[in-house]
Amino acid sequence: MAAASMFPGIVFPKDQIVGQTNGAINWKKTPCRFCGVGCGLLVGVSDGKAVAVKGDPASPVNKGLCCVKGYHSVMALYASDRLTKPYIRRNGKLQEATMKEALDLIAEKMKTIIQEHGKDAVSIYGSGQWTIPDGYVASKLFKGAIGTNNVEANARVCMASAVTGFITSFGMDEPMGCYEDFDHADVFVLWGNNMAEMHPVLFSRMLDQRLKRDVKIIDLATRTTRTSAAADRTILFKPQTDLAIANAICYEIIHNGWMNDDFVRNHCVVKSGKTNIGYGTEDHFKFKDEPKASSLAELKHFLEDYKPEKVEELTGVSAKDIKYLASLYGNPNKKVMSLWCMGMNQHTRGTWINNLVYNIHLLTGKISTPGNSPFSLTGQPSACGTVREVGTLTHKLPHGVVMNEKHRKIAADIWKVPVERIPSKPTYHTVEMFRALDRGEIKFMWIQVTNPMVTIPNLNRYRDATKKDDRFIVVSDVYPTPTTDIADVILPAAMWIEREGMYGNSERRTQHFEQMLQPPGEAMSDTWQLIEVARRLGYEKLFPWTEENHVEKIWEEYSRFHEGAKHGIAPYEVLKERSGVQWPYVNGKETKWRYHSKYDPACEKEGYDFYGKPEGKAWIWIRPYEAPAESPDRDYPFWLNTGRVLEHWHTGSMTRRVPVLHQAVPSAYVELHPADAKALNVVNGDLVKLASRRGEIVLRASVDERGQPTRGQVFVPFFDEGYLINELTLDAFCPISKEPDYKKCAVKVEKYLG
Amino acid sequence: MKSRLVLIGMCALLMFGAIYIIGTSLYEERKAAAPATVATNPVSSIPIERGVFARSAEALLYQEMPESQKGLEAYYQNRAYPGAPPIIPHQLISEKGIGGKNCLQCHQNGGYVEQFSAFAPITPHPDLLNCMQCHVPQKTNLAFQATNWEKMAAADIHQVAMPGAPPVIPHDLDMRNNCLSCHAGPSAPKEIRVSHPERVNCRQCHLPRTTPDIFTKPVQENATFKRPGGDEMGYSEQKLDNAEVSQISEWIKNENQ
Repeated sequence: MAAASMFPGIVFPKDQIVGQTNGAINWKKTPCRFCGVGCGLLVGVSDGKAVAVKGDPASPVNKGLCCVKGYHSVMALYASDRLTKPYIRRNGKLQEATMKEALDLIAEKMKTIIQEHGKDAVSIYGSGQWTIPDGYVASKLFKGAIGTNNVEANARVCMASAVTGFITSFGMDEPMGCYEDFDHADVFVLWGNNMAEMHPVLFSRMLDQRLKRDVKIIDLATRTTRTSAAADRTILFKPQTDLAIANAICYEIIHNGWMNDDFVRNHCVVKSGKTNIGYGTEDHFKFKDEPKASSLAELKHFLEDYKPEKVEELTGVSAKDIKYLASLYGNPNKKVMSLWCMGMNQHTRGTWINNLVYNIHLLTGKISTPGNSPFSLTGQPSACGTVREVGTLTHKLPHGVVMNEKHRKIAADIWKVPVERIPSKPTYHTVEMFRALDRGEIKFMWIQVTNPMVTIPNLNRYRDATKKDDRFIVVSDVYPTPTTDIADVILPAAMWIEREGMYGNSERRTQHFEQMLQPPGEAMSDTWQLIEVARRLGYEKLFPWTEENHVEKIWEEYSRFHEGAKHGIAPYEVLKERSGVQWPYVNGKETKWRYHSKYDPACEKEGYDFYGKPEGKAWIWIRPYEAPAESPDRDYPFWLNTGRVLEHWHTGSMTRRVPVLHQAVPSAYVELHPADAKALNVVNGDLVKLASRRGEIVLRASVDERGQPTRGQVFVPFFDEGYLINELTLDAFCPISKEPDYKKCAVKVEKYLG
Repeated sequence: MKSRLVLIGMCALLMFGAIYIIGTSLYEERKAAAPATVATNPVSSIPIERGVFARSAEALLYQEMPESQKGLEAYYQNRAYPGAPPIIPHQLISEKGIGGKNCLQCHQNGGYVEQFSAFAPITPHPDLLNCMQCHVPQKTNLAFQATNWEKMAAADIHQVAMPGAPPVIPHDLDMRNNCLSCHAGPSAPKEIRVSHPERVNCRQCHLPRTTPDIFTKPVQENATFKRPGGDEMGYSEQKLDNAEVSQISEWIKNENQ
C-alpha cells in the first residue's frame, strides 16, 4: 500500500497476479447461438458467469468478426424472467412444480394417450436450434422407441424447400460449396436475400472482397434494403416472379450460346414434373411429384415462353436487366455465386425456384468448384446439423427416409429396436401436424426450443387448436413466451453453453461447444429432459448414458449412420479441439467442395460426379411460373411480406432480453412505400391497421426508414410478440417441401383512427 | 382532505426515492470495489497486425490538437462490457443503408462535429463498411425485461512490470489494432491519451498479454541422453529404484550428523 502511494499510477506485479487469479477470464470456443452462419465465438467466463464475447480468430467462418447479436449473445442468458422451475397447469393456472412432478406427469400423459388413441396421437415439434444430441434423442425416442413418425421441427417452415431443391436436383441434401467460395467468386447474385441484415458477417466478407478485387454484388429483391444500399446493382421484381426471371436467364444463356455444352451433355439430364400443383391451404392436402424424362430440346421449347421481353410485364423487370443478369452468369470468365435464404424457401413454389437457380448453374457448368457456387443459406444455428442431418422430420431418419426399408433396417440395427417398430409411412408435416392437433388426431405435443405461437402462419386457427379440451402441450424453453402461455407443462431448459452440444451450420460445418456455465435453478438440457421421460416410459435400455458422458456417447452412436465418404463426420475428440469441422470428413480430411474429384474423395469418376443421383448426373428441371396462392385484389389490395431485422433473431424471445438490441429496435412496425403512405395520408409514426382474410393488427408506420417495400407492398418484421403478424399470414405451402410462404399474402391497409 | 392525501403521497414518493437512491449507490459502490479483471486468452493467438500503422501520417498533428474532456467512464458507458462494440449514442444521419460513408464522414478521421458539440471518435477499422452490423442506435431507454447482467470492470490502465517500464496493453486487440484511433487526438478519452503519438510503432514498447502464463523451464528428469563413450567415463545410465533412493538419503543423513 505504501509503495503504491509512492508511485501513483503503477500497479505492482503482486497486485496484478491477484487480479489475474481472482477475476481471470477463461475464453472458450462455441458457435454463436443465433443464425445459421455459425460464427465462431470466444466466450469469456469469469467466476461462473459469462462476461464477454469476441470473435474466434481461429474460426474460418467469421475470422474474428461477429455481428451485434453475437457480441451481445451471452447477455441473453441473464434476463430476470429466466425460467428456472417447471410449471404445471392446474385448474387452468400455471403453478410452480418440481422437475420430478413435471417429468412424471409428461410420461404419464404420454402413456395414457398412446393407450387410448394410439401412437400417432403423440408428437414432438422441435427446431433448428436443437443441438444435434437433442434432435437425435427426439428421433430415437419417437421413431425408434415409441414408433411414430410424428417428429417435426420448425426448420420445416424455414428451409424445407432448400432440402427438396437439393434432393430433386442432386439427390443429396446441403450445399456442394462452402464459405470459401466468397474469396473466389467474381459475381454475387442475391436472390431475395437481405444479407446485410440477415447474414451480416458473410456480407462483410463479400464487401471485403470488393475492396480487394473487382467483384459485383447484385441484389435481386422485392424490397429495397440495406443490402440494396450496398449492392452494385439492385433489380426489383414482383413477388413470385423469380420463377419467370430464372427461366428467362436460362433462355438467354441457351439463346446466346453461353451454355457449357460439354458439361450439360456429360453431367446433366433434363426432367419435367407435374404442374398446377396447388397450395395446400385445405386440410388433408396430398401431393406427389412424378419426374419424367425430358430433353434439352423440350427445355428449349419450354423456355420460348420466357423470352426476357415476354416476361417484362409479369416480373416488372426490364428485358435489359434480365439480359444483364444472364450475361453475368453466361460470361465464361466470371465465377458466380448465387445466394438465397427465406425469399426462395418460404415460397409456394419453393422447390421449383431452388431447382431453377440450380438450372442456371448447371447450364453454365458453374458449380462444385471454388467460386462457382449456388449457395443456400440457413437461418438457424443447427437447421442443417440437426434437422437436416439427423433428420427430425416426419419422413426422415438419421440416414435416409422412413419409406425405404433398407434405411429403416439401418436405423433399427443402430438403435437396437425391432425394424417393425419404425413405421414406413410419414405422418404429418408441420402445418398438417397443427391441423391434426386442431382436428383432434393429435392429443399430445411436446414443443422444444421454438415459439410456434408467434411463428405459425394463420396463427389464430392453430392457437385455438392448442387450447382445445383434451389436448396436452409441453413446452421446453428458457423464457416465458406466447407458446409457454398455452402450455400444460413448462420445462425450464438449459440454454446453449449451459450444457454441452453441437450445432451444424450452412456450409456442412459441425461445431462442438462444452458446458461453460451452470444452468439456473432446475433448468435441464432438452436432451436430458427427453432421456428422463424416455426412461419413465420404460426405454431406459435405449438411453443408457450418464449425464457426464451422454453427448459423447450419442455422437459415437449417431456417427455410425453417416459412415463413408459421402457423409462421414469427424470424431468427438476432433470436434472438441477445432473451431468446427466440415463433413464429409474422410481419412482425417474435410471436404470443401462436393461432386468434383479434385476436392471430393467420394467421386468415383474423374472430374464431376453427381453421385447423389443413380446415373451420376444432376437433374435440370423444367419448372414453369405459377401464380401465388393469394394475390392482392380489390378487397385486399396490398402484398404483405414478413421477415427479420438485424438486431432481433426470430421471435425475439432471446434478443429482446438483451438491452442493447431491444433498445435499438424496441417494437415491430409496418414499412410502407412513401407513395402508398401519401395516398393513405399516413406519415412516419402514424398508426396503421393491416387486415387480411385471417386477422388484423394495428402498428406503427415506418416510412422512408430502414427498408422500403415496392409500391403496393408492406413489410412487417415478426420478432415482436406484441404484434403477431402471423395472425394475418396464409398457411399455403410448397406442395413438394410443405414449407409455408410467409412472404406473400393479401392485406388491406388503412390509417388507424382509434 | 385532498391536499393532505397529496402531501402524504408526496412524502411516500420521497421516501421510496431516497431508498432507491441509497440502494443503488450502495450497489454501485460494491460494484466499484470488485477486483478489476484482466483479460487473458488461453487460446494462444497473436493479435493480427491489420491496420496497426494506420493514421501514423497524422501523428505529429495530434500534438497540436486540443485535449478531450471526455473520460474513460463515458467511454465505457455505451458498451455492454469492456470490448463490446459501442452503441451509437446519437441520432442517425439516415436509417437507410449499412452505415459506410454515412458513418465514415465523421468517424474515419474525426474532427469537431458542431451538431453534437463534440469531437467524433475515430474508428480503428474503417475497412469494415457494414457499420450497422455491430453498432446500433438506441431508440428507447426502456428494457423489454429487466436483466441480471453484471458488467465486468475494465482492466486497470498503466499496468507496468516495474517503475518506468512501458505500460502493457490491458485489453484485447480484436477490431482495435490501430492504437492511435483511440489513444491519440482530441476524441481520445483523457486518461488514455498518449503523450507521444509521433512514435507510431506503439507495439514496439507496449505489448498485449496473450496468455496469463509465465514461461518457466524446470530441469527435466527425463532429459537424459548418453554421451558417446559415456560408459567409459563412468556416466553409465542407471535408474535407481525407490529403495535405493531412500538408502542413499539415509547415508547422506548419517554423513551430515
